[in-house]
Amino acid sequence: MKMAQASTAGDITQYLTFQSANDTFAIDILDVKEIIEIEGITRVPMMPEFLCGIINLRGRVVPVIDLSKRLGRHTTVMTKKSCIVLVEVSHEEEQQIIGMLVDEVNEILEIDDEHTQPPPDFGADLRVDFIRAMGRVGEHFMILLDINYVLSVADISAISQLSFHATDVVNEE
Amino acid sequence: MSATTEVQKLFMTETEELLLDMEDALLSLESDTENIELINQLFRAMHTIKGAAGIFNYNAIVDFTHPIETTIDRVRKNELKINSTLIALLLKCKDHTWALVNASVAEDELDLTSLMIQSQNILAEFNLSEPISPALPSCPQPFETQPISPERIDERYTDSGHWLISLDFKVDALRNGLDPLNFIRYLQQLGQVLEVICLSNRLPAFEVCDFESCFLSYRIVFSGDCSKEQIEAVFEFAQDDCDILILPSQKISESFQNLIDELNPSENQRLGEILLTIGAITERELTKSLNLQSGHIPECASKKLGEVLIANQLVDQPVVEQALKKQTQAREQAQTIRVDSNRLGQLINLVGELVTASAAMRVMVDKYHLLDANDQVSSVEHLVQEIRENALQLRMVQIGETFSRFRRVVRDVSNELGKQIELTIQGGESELDKIVVEKINDPLTHLVRNALDHGIELPEQRISKGKSPTGHLMLNAYHDSGHIVIEVTDDGAGLDPERIRRKAESLGVIEANQVLSHAEILRLAFEPGLSTKEKASNLSGRGVGMDVVKRNIEALRGSVELDSELGKGTKVTITLPLTLAIIDGFMVGAANENYVIPLNMVEECVELNQGEWHEQQKNYISLRGELMPFIRLTSFFNISQTNQHKRESLVVVRFGRSKAGIVVDKLFGEQQTVIKPLGKMFQHLKGLSGATILGTGDIALILDIQGLITEVSIGAKKHHHVAMIDD
Repeated sequence: MKMAQASTAGDITQYLTFQSANDTFAIDILDVKEIIEIEGITRVPMMPEFLCGIINLRGRVVPVIDLSKRLGRHTTVMTKKSCIVLVEVSHEEEQQIIGMLVDEVNEILEIDDEHTQPPPDFGADLRVDFIRAMGRVGEHFMILLDINYVLSVADISAISQLSFHATDVVNEE
Repeated sequence: MSATTEVQKLFMTETEELLLDMEDALLSLESDTENIELINQLFRAMHTIKGAAGIFNYNAIVDFTHPIETTIDRVRKNELKINSTLIALLLKCKDHTWALVNASVAEDELDLTSLMIQSQNILAEFNLSEPISPALPSCPQPFETQPISPERIDERYTDSGHWLISLDFKVDALRNGLDPLNFIRYLQQLGQVLEVICLSNRLPAFEVCDFESCFLSYRIVFSGDCSKEQIEAVFEFAQDDCDILILPSQKISESFQNLIDELNPSENQRLGEILLTIGAITERELTKSLNLQSGHIPECASKKLGEVLIANQLVDQPVVEQALKKQTQAREQAQTIRVDSNRLGQLINLVGELVTASAAMRVMVDKYHLLDANDQVSSVEHLVQEIRENALQLRMVQIGETFSRFRRVVRDVSNELGKQIELTIQGGESELDKIVVEKINDPLTHLVRNALDHGIELPEQRISKGKSPTGHLMLNAYHDSGHIVIEVTDDGAGLDPERIRRKAESLGVIEANQVLSHAEILRLAFEPGLSTKEKASNLSGRGVGMDVVKRNIEALRGSVELDSELGKGTKVTITLPLTLAIIDGFMVGAANENYVIPLNMVEECVELNQGEWHEQQKNYISLRGELMPFIRLTSFFNISQTNQHKRESLVVVRFGRSKAGIVVDKLFGEQQTVIKPLGKMFQHLKGLSGATILGTGDIALILDIQGLITEVSIGAKKHHHVAMIDD
């Protein structure tokens, strides 16, 4: 909705770009709360693989999600450059902070809203609802992620319920 | 408008509380009709609501409550007898008042009009139900024999308030140059002297009379717009030679009472000060009375100031009573402060942070061996713990209030269903977190309604079964190892295990040939869709079943158990943690992760020796001859063991009646644990109830022992089931 408004006005939106799963993604800078180093992630048992665990963010317990795994790719391998991008998503009218584990944070890009296009029906190797739009930078297209879908609390909690029962069965066998 | 809403909100909450008090009082009156304090409580409730409604100009409420207040007042004066009809009517009034309050605050004109018509109908019932008033009209007495009293003056001068001034001149008054007449003349400047009665009964016989002595006494009826103090000033010079009494008439006395009512005395105001402020006594009278009280005259020495004042006719009894009441009220108000529960929540959050911060401090001190700081840190830790306990205590409320709300429910339901049910409440003084109390209300209501509707039978049925026609419902609460246990017990029909079984089979919850124990069958009642009552009444069975009760209670980290015997009754036991915020925890380690077990569940810790461990592949050991099933955290949570620990410990936990062991790698010990919810994302996670932040900044997960055990046993059962099918 915000996009539709912005594109008619021809505004410029700032995006944070980062590397994950050998790809470059971008998210709206306004969604980003902060970027932190990885210190200690406490694993929470019986959760889906893409849920790395929880961290202590100045006294708050914040869940961290392996973005690459969430997008259906391989598990992120921690390097010196790996970091956590903290974003704010809304769930049932509550704001929740979620950490996103990425390989590397690149830069802040300004993309003219006229240079964004709706996502292609296929070909992006990604769930379509994860993509907010495609942004053109020079000759390349970059995936602008819709974090409200990628990090949807309802979605993740539903998946974790399934995976919980799945592990149940595994345990039994 | 927003300011008004705030005040209106206050009015609403206050009214609600008053009405609840009133309901309580009414229900208690049913068994204790003579209790004057309860009647006073009713009166106070109506009176205060009327007063408050008056401030807001809610005339509908005022018009309705005023006649009720008058009726209650008549009960208070013994003109009217309290009986069950009146109680029922007053209960109706209570409900109606609440409806009126809601409509008035909402400014719902349409609703209000219809409610006002209802008001009239309800009020009309009072006249019908009223027995012939036993109060006798006070018979007029002959003027001569009647002592001059404020009441008599009122009878004769009804237009406004009057003072009765009594002057008893001493023998030497004339010799000291006082002229009684002068005072009376001077008094006329202040107001109107309506009547002067000269009493000459002290006058001795003519032969022995000393004409320089004064033997006269005067009773003056005086009307004027002046204070007692001013009147007293008139007789200032005569004070030494004359006994002066200035009595207020009934009207003025009433006005004093009203003044006291309006007064907002500070917490420590003395009775004398209150009376002085409103002008019921003068400074001189007060000093005199206090002197009397301080022991110059033995008979007054031990009395209270109020009694002295009344004995000396300085103030009327009702005025003193009113003042005393106000005084107590002021003290009570000073003892309790209304605090927004959000603010309390904030405080508790901050205390949580403080606990974490002090733990972090301890970590630093230990890490750098700061021996000098050790004492300070210890005392800070100690203080933090006390603050924590105090802060949590702030939110603790007694469960009694929640329980006593059910008295009304029981009363109404038993009337509606034609059942005779007696409610017994026990352990109402047990305290638990306000948040828990609020959330337990719904499940508890459900259980009580279930017991009333499905549990307890009709009187005839009960008699035919050889039970007493009156059914008993008991609500009981007590504390048990950091938890509160709430029991809802009835002596009704009980649950039929066969019916539950059939229903469960038809729903496919269990297999037809599955062997289940009695307890297991009863536990099925908590499965969704298992209402055994075929027909739903308007009380319960509205599709919200025991599964919802169970879910609500489990959301509070509690548990619910059912025990029932067909024909004998049902007992539902709810176990809840006392608080949801901060607990004493016991920290353990498994692989490289830390876990916290609520301390009050830990029974003991046992070191497992290696040999015993390796030999057994089964998940139980014999602990001093007792069979102890255990959960191995590393395997249950699927944590990959990086380095195989040589030593493992068994933590024995207890929940309710069941015991289990948890095998961990390390024991860390006690730890104040601030519970941080894991958030919505982890809402389906069983076995973990939250997380806590340690002094090091690391996170430890809090184990939900009960959830864990349930999860394991469900898993085991499924496994068993699979095995059976395989056969």
